[in-house]
Amino acid sequence: MKRLSLKWPLIVISSALAFIIFVVPLYGASVYSFKGMGGKGHSWVNYQWLIHADGFYPSLFTSLKLAVLAGILNLLLMVPTMVYLNLKGQRFKPFVDFLCILPLIIPVVSLAIGAQVAMPEFLQNTEYELVFFFVIIALPYTYRALDTSLQTVALKTLVEASRSLGASWTRTIIRVIVPAIRSGITGALFLTFALSIGEYTITSLLHWETFPTWTVVAAQQNILGAIAISVFSFVGAIVLLTAIALFSKKRVQRVEVEA
Amino acid sequence: MSKKERISSTLELQGVSRHFGSVKALDGLDLTVQPGELVALLGPSGCGKTTALRIVAGLEVATSGELLVNGSRYNDTPASQRDMGMVFQSYSLFPNLTVAENIEYGLRARKVDSEKRGKRVKAMLELVDLAVKAKSYPHQLSGGQQQRVALARALAIEPRVLLLDEPLSALDAQVRGQIREEIRRIQLELGITTLFVTHDQEEAMAISDRVGVMSHGKLEQIDTPIALYNSPATPFVASFVGQANRIPAQITAKGKARVLNQKVNISESAGSFEEGDHVHVIIRPELLEIVSESDTDATRGIVALKSFLGPMTKIGIAVEGGPLIHLNIASREVRKIEIGDKIAFKISSDEVMAARV
Repeated sequence: MKRLSLKWPLIVISSALAFIIFVVPLYGASVYSFKGMGGKGHSWVNYQWLIHADGFYPSLFTSLKLAVLAGILNLLLMVPTMVYLNLKGQRFKPFVDFLCILPLIIPVVSLAIGAQVAMPEFLQNTEYELVFFFVIIALPYTYRALDTSLQTVALKTLVEASRSLGASWTRTIIRVIVPAIRSGITGALFLTFALSIGEYTITSLLHWETFPTWTVVAAQQNILGAIAISVFSFVGAIVLLTAIALFSKKRVQRVEVEA
Repeated sequence: MSKKERISSTLELQGVSRHFGSVKALDGLDLTVQPGELVALLGPSGCGKTTALRIVAGLEVATSGELLVNGSRYNDTPASQRDMGMVFQSYSLFPNLTVAENIEYGLRARKVDSEKRGKRVKAMLELVDLAVKAKSYPHQLSGGQQQRVALARALAIEPRVLLLDEPLSALDAQVRGQIREEIRRIQLELGITTLFVTHDQEEAMAISDRVGVMSHGKLEQIDTPIALYNSPATPFVASFVGQANRIPAQITAKGKARVLNQKVNISESAGSFEEGDHVHVIIRPELLEIVSESDTDATRGIVALKSFLGPMTKIGIAVEGGPLIHLNIASREVRKIEIGDKIAFKISSDEVMAARV
């Protein structure tokens, strides 16, 4: 007797679930974000309100700026560290792994207050202190993204080949290691960027204004505008995600190996 | 320093040791490679041959001893400044760079100007016959092609010494033979001092000027392939290089022994034994000859194994109270011999190597 295939029922069920959980709320939010004045008709009025609202551009710019800086700082810190750990510092790996998990264990309130006290005063007085917090909260994810990527390449022999050809450590990291682990670096960069741009708790506790904190305040003034903000944020995230994914997959066209 | 001087350097290791805790990976290695010479270090896994090569490359630090190139001390010179071209077992080509860019890599690191780089890359591509693959990426090449690129990359920097770390191990048998010959052709063409590490004695014997056999971190013997095969200095070399029968024997007088009811002379290099000592004599298969069964001095046995190896056939003879004795006979002469046949053989060598039991 022919065995019944579960393939199609599973596809149908998972598609239906995805539709209910993901598409329906998004569709609902999109419809509401285009409601006209007083909830009647359809228009761009909520988006017009959004882009003309006080603090929209400054907070968005601040969030983007801090997220970019956090991404760069995170890579500058973690790429050489992870290369060292995988190359020569294997015995330190469990310790560093533990350190990188701490941001998931320590309550955010304790982290915000405790770490801020430890920062130099000139940093405490600028919004740039948030960059360091964003780097800290991204550590558990970047550690794993980079570690997984490094374990898929023959790191030791690549480094030895580069060094024996006369390359410095800097050249070896930039020309050999970074391209070899580009997918891991892109992943780490995206995770740091996404966490930074959406971070609310620490920013709020430390009384800085970024896009997420501005959103909370702005949403209290205009409920349909708040929905427009949600849709805008979601679409923005999708665009960024796609851009980064395309960048990481940008590869030289492969040619079949000749026999 | 002229190109010729750079490419024909003398490499010396004087009492070089490398200890990992209590393990002596390399134990006082003395080795000199003359300009333009290809020396192979041969030995089983863990004998210290790769450690020696890595110390020369600067990828490992010697615990003690001196490393000299053209008389200059190199112990403290970083790997990036040693001018040693190294070819790795796993190719180690940079996957994000094309063939030409891989070859160019070392020249860029040395800040060689663009015009010279271009000429050098072109010359290297022609040397390894891969000019048509200049723009290909490593994943687009076969194993043999990748190893040729690795060789070109190592040679592009005009290294003082070329280091080959089991460069043929990852290749299939047919390609291995081709690349082996190509390495030797290029080495002779450039006259570059080369240190070659391998566990494959056929590879080592086929292309080396001299072969050093290593065991437990020490150099047992270094000599030409022919001398190594015909006059092994130690029982280990006799057993490791080529095929050999280890047959129980007893010393009957100084320098003489009785084995399989035959009298043999023991090589002086085997060491001194007392009368009555039990030893193993080491006899190569080709030093045993099949004789007529009527020969009263011959040893008799029964054919227990017959293994066709192309031009030669390996015969295993079971003798009473002894191990299986192996002989190599020309295949055209072996047709009449079948498993189970009675057979007589004699030791045809005047002198054999012996080792303590």
